[in-house]
Amino acid sequence: MRPFLPEERLGSLLALLGHWGEVYGPVTTGDGVTAFRPVSDPGQLRLEYRRTLIPPKRFLLPPRETILTYSPDAGYQPLDTAQPALVLFGLHPCDLQGIAYLDRVFLEGVVDTSYRRNRQALTIIGLSCEPDEFCFCGAAGADLPAGCDLFLQRTPAGFFVTAGTMKGEEICDRSAQLFTLRQPAGTTPWHHPLADAICRGCAAGETFPDNPLWDRFAERCLGCGACSACCPTCYCYDVLEQGGLDGQAAERLREWDNCLFKSHGEVAGGVNFRRSRRERLQYRFLHKYYGFGALRGVISCVGCGRCRAVCPVEIDLAALFEGEDHDRQ
Amino acid sequence: MTGSDSSMIPFMAEIVASTPLSADTSLFRLRLDQGIADYLPGQFFQLSVPAGGEFPVSPASAADGGGELEFCVRRVGQVTSHLHSLGPGGRVGLRGPFGNGFPVAEMAGAQILLLAGGLGIAPLRSLLHYILREPERYASVTLMYGAREPAAMLFRDELVALARQERFRLLLTVDFVRDEPVDGRVCTVGLLPALLRGVKVEPAATWAAICGPPPLYACLVAELASLGFADERIFISLERRMKCGVGHCCHCALGQLLCCSDGPVFRYSAIKGITGAI
Ligand SMILES: Cc1cc2nc3c(=O)[nH]c(=O)nc-3n(C[C@H](O)[C@H](O)[C@H](O)COP(=O)(O)OP(=O)(O)OC[C@H]3O[C@@H](n4cnc5c(N)ncnc54)[C@H](O)[C@@H]3O)c2cc1C
Ligand code: SF4
Ligand code: SF4
Ligand code: FES
Repeated sequence: MRPFLPEERLGSLLALLGHWGEVYGPVTTGDGVTAFRPVSDPGQLRLEYRRTLIPPKRFLLPPRETILTYSPDAGYQPLDTAQPALVLFGLHPCDLQGIAYLDRVFLEGVVDTSYRRNRQALTIIGLSCEPDEFCFCGAAGADLPAGCDLFLQRTPAGFFVTAGTMKGEEICDRSAQLFTLRQPAGTTPWHHPLADAICRGCAAGETFPDNPLWDRFAERCLGCGACSACCPTCYCYDVLEQGGLDGQAAERLREWDNCLFKSHGEVAGGVNFRRSRRERLQYRFLHKYYGFGALRGVISCVGCGRCRAVCPVEIDLAALFEGEDHDRQ
Repeated sequence: MTGSDSSMIPFMAEIVASTPLSADTSLFRLRLDQGIADYLPGQFFQLSVPAGGEFPVSPASAADGGGELEFCVRRVGQVTSHLHSLGPGGRVGLRGPFGNGFPVAEMAGAQILLLAGGLGIAPLRSLLHYILREPERYASVTLMYGAREPAAMLFRDELVALARQERFRLLLTVDFVRDEPVDGRVCTVGLLPALLRGVKVEPAATWAAICGPPPLYACLVAELASLGFADERIFISLERRMKCGVGHCCHCALGQLLCCSDGPVFRYSAIKGITGAI
């Protein structure tokens, strides 16, 4: 028997979660986009959503954020204000896996102080999903994906609830009166054939250097960077500094950068280490499927399908693993 | 400059001297507000000019247990221009040191061949100073340094003076001669690879270290290979765009290696198979 939250009590759980911070969940915005926004009433939630346009990484690595301030007296200092607490409600397993990966990048080894500050402000509530034609994750159907405090397995009548952390257990304790006990129906783990092909390809170290898809992709890529901006595990950033008007105080900011932009590999004096679009696409490919530096050998594509869904010219790097017949153009 | 945040939050230093070395390059001597400047030759720092920005730069000095260190910086763009506008008393920030540096322990006891092109002299001067502090620990050290033209040759007088030492051999070259003549005793006209072809080395007992502009690497490596150098005995210090210095921002990969944290000094054998590495 497992704790079960009947659907009609979801509103009570949301109200209770307010104790851990402002609750954000998947909603459809005025311009028809699915996004994580503040929710107070379960009626606003789009529980059947597939994917948001912008992944939840924006709560950990905002598109632009101040990371340090400078003053002549104090030198460079991290921000000393606390980040407001947030509850992210309804993250799918792919996005949870994305956050677990970002945690490895920014919290293992050298700790990124700004990321840690943002991460500590989050309480994460996962939600099972129904994949669509763009998804190819291998994780859906799992009882408890990594990276969440609490996971909700959706059924027609409500949700099976599993705690993933101490905080999750605390939430369960506090909301115990909302739960009933139910015999879990066996979930069928979902395996996408593409996820299997990617695992096989990566295990064999395939980079497909001779695949004609590379040329076809390079010919039509617009360099817009949408694939990387909407990827839950793309985290490159640029750093800028802005001086105050008094010429004394300054702020250091970081903002999303993008390996599909030409400037990404440029150094002073006009040298560019990734001059061609093909090289830039291959850079993204290598990072997603093989990993860089300390995370060499770790696949970071979580199969959320965002890049294939948003690319205006239907470039899908994962198609390399399927062979050229699957190029959708 | 200890403390767990020294890789994320710059610590402050003051410019104690800035000495022009050429039309666009100066040597900046910095004193840390606190602590000891501890680093290996070939490692680098992220140098911040408040309100200007930050850039990666390798010390041109060798750590000496004190709180001062030197950077040789060419004015090429925004942040380096900000730095050049500062004089003694100017305030800057530093994060680091980052990266691996040259494997100085492994190099002990052997002959050392340093090959520098242009600004690549900066980290190799650090290594040279490191070696010449205890020259008896090495069989010999040879520096071959090529500059674009005589006026762009950095540290010439200092290097010529150091070359009076018995174990240090200096060979300077310029790509083409312009401006005033250089010291004829030590300066040859021609490209560095050509100069290399003419010297006597014992490849099996020598470690080679290269730093210079990107086009130089492939020629020098080919030349060293034809002299009989094994790939494992060649160390190359590489430049890439770098923002974080700690393996987070993902600008600096060559293959799956990150230049900032797996390098910036690489054994040639480790990067030989990586397209575009050199
Ligand atoms: C490991 C290492 C050691 C270096 N050592 C030295 C040295 O000893 N002396 C020296 O003069 N120079 C050195 N450089 C090069 C130096 O970092 C660049 O010349 C400097 O970043 C140029 O900055 P800028 O703002 O003046 O140039 P701009 O062209 O105005 O730069 C524009 C933008 O590009 C970025 N950018 C340009 N080149 C680089 C680069 N190579 N790495 C990262 N970002 C870059 C800048 O941060 C800036 O955001 C080194 C670089 C590396 C990677
Ligand atoms: S590469 Fe594409 S499918 Fe994979 S995680 Fe990123 S956006 Fe999702
Ligand atoms: S979304 Fe498509 S067109 Fe845009 S940069 Fe990515 S691959 Fe190129
Ligand atoms: S400089 Fe940021 S990853 Fe290397």
